Amino acid sequence: MYCEKCGKNHATTHIKTVVNGVAKEYNLCSVCAAEHGYATNSLTGMLASMFGDFSKNESLIPKVQCSVCGSTFRDIAKTGKVGCAECYKTFYDELLPYLKRVHGSVTHVGKVPNSAPLAIVEEKTTVEQLRNELSRLVSEENYEQAAVIRDKIKEMEAASNE
Amino acid sequence: MSNWYKTQDQNSSVAVSSRIRLARNLKGLPFPARMTTAQRIELNQRVKEAILGSNTPFAKTLKYIDMHDVPETQKFAMVERHIISPEFANKTEPTAIILSSDESISIMIGEEDHIRIQVILAGLNLAKAYDIAEQIDTLLHDSLHFAFDSKLGFLTECPTNLGTGLRASVMLHLPALEWGGEIETLGTSISKIGFTVRGMYGEGSKSMASLYQVSNQITLGLGEKNALDNLLIITNQLIEKEIESRNSLNKLELEDQCFRALGILQNARILSSSEMMNLISCVKLGKSMGILDIKASPIEILVEAQPFMLCGKYGVLEPRERDIYRANMVRETLK
Repeated sequence: MYCEKCGKNHATTHIKTVVNGVAKEYNLCSVCAAEHGYATNSLTGMLASMFGDFSKNESLIPKVQCSVCGSTFRDIAKTGKVGCAECYKTFYDELLPYLKRVHGSVTHVGKVPNSAPLAIVEEKTTVEQLRNELSRLVSEENYEQAAVIRDKIKEMEAASNE
Repeated sequence: MSNWYKTQDQNSSVAVSSRIRLARNLKGLPFPARMTTAQRIELNQRVKEAILGSNTPFAKTLKYIDMHDVPETQKFAMVERHIISPEFANKTEPTAIILSSDESISIMIGEEDHIRIQVILAGLNLAKAYDIAEQIDTLLHDSLHFAFDSKLGFLTECPTNLGTGLRASVMLHLPALEWGGEIETLGTSISKIGFTVRGMYGEGSKSMASLYQVSNQITLGLGEKNALDNLLIITNQLIEKEIESRNSLNKLELEDQCFRALGILQNARILSSSEMMNLISCVKLGKSMGILDIKASPIEILVEAQPFMLCGKYGVLEPRERDIYRANMVRETLK
């Protein structure tokens, strides 16, 4: 489907509006959608808004720049996009609460490329196993045992974050 | 293997396709949004050499394509075949793609991340698609060295992909659930457990032809296997619910709808994209339920009758002309 506004690009954004009880629908391309004030990437807008705490209080924004790409935390918060791999180190503390909000966790579980140390692989497997164990216990309503496992997971995660 | 939309069979009656995408970035280069043109060209070359120079048997089935050499209509026809994302097709910077001859493997270079490995197969085929993607990932990592952090996993431009960088999705045909008005409720409950339901062309797109993509959201703290298992459980439940709803539809009304849809498609002289999509959805349902006895694959027609697919086949067409070519093509195929 082509964009209803310019008729040139592929329509990728579907917009429904209700004004004074009158519903209208439009199919626009990303460029025309942006011109009408609709974020082309709804996720980006949502992500940026998750940094809301910072936008309210400017003094909370760190002044540091990433040594590799020059990004500031303000750039990241504004776009919801990180500048380079190094940014994750530079702004680790600032990103952490936000990652927690998005994923509910801040510790990678899963594939580790072969060049990484083996010890990490083993540790990761254990946390994941414990998680599985935890959900099994919860589903069996065995909350006492589940609490023990939950604390273990917390401990291990705390240890790996240090 | 062959193109997902050309290999639809009885197993694809609800689950049309399965897609795996891995997001990866190289160490030492800024993420794409901050890359210079020179860095982008360097990235394209490095990925090209890593895969085509790898001397693995499967590298021979892959082809490197500079996106600057691809005409606009062909780019958007690729979007319609689900080989690349709409965002990638709109990029003006030097980008490239590595594509397998059957188009089941596509590696986008310079999209939101340096590398997006995508494998798309017909039907419900997540495990196989993941295996292939994982092999490519390992092969590429050997020579390119991906940005990886032991705490945060694979590092990505958008923190929503951080960790495994895995987005697994299944495209489902859910007409009966849609008619029953159950999609929104299902969408809400699915989103509560870390999954999303989207329209056919992904982020922000509207559902057409009752096709929905279900995919995982969480990539940090949940391993690949668990993410795939969870998606599979959700998908199987949705398939079950859809089939239940299909069986509870009024048989006469359903037959009436299906035969009418087929009748229009077999006779129309002018056919808009949205009309075609609505009708083909009915025909697919009718074929799946044994109501319509047709040889042609509705999903194949649906893809081939997309605007840019038609332009690719018949040359650049004005919208009105396109509706005529579409009607002719659909009529011929369903004869």
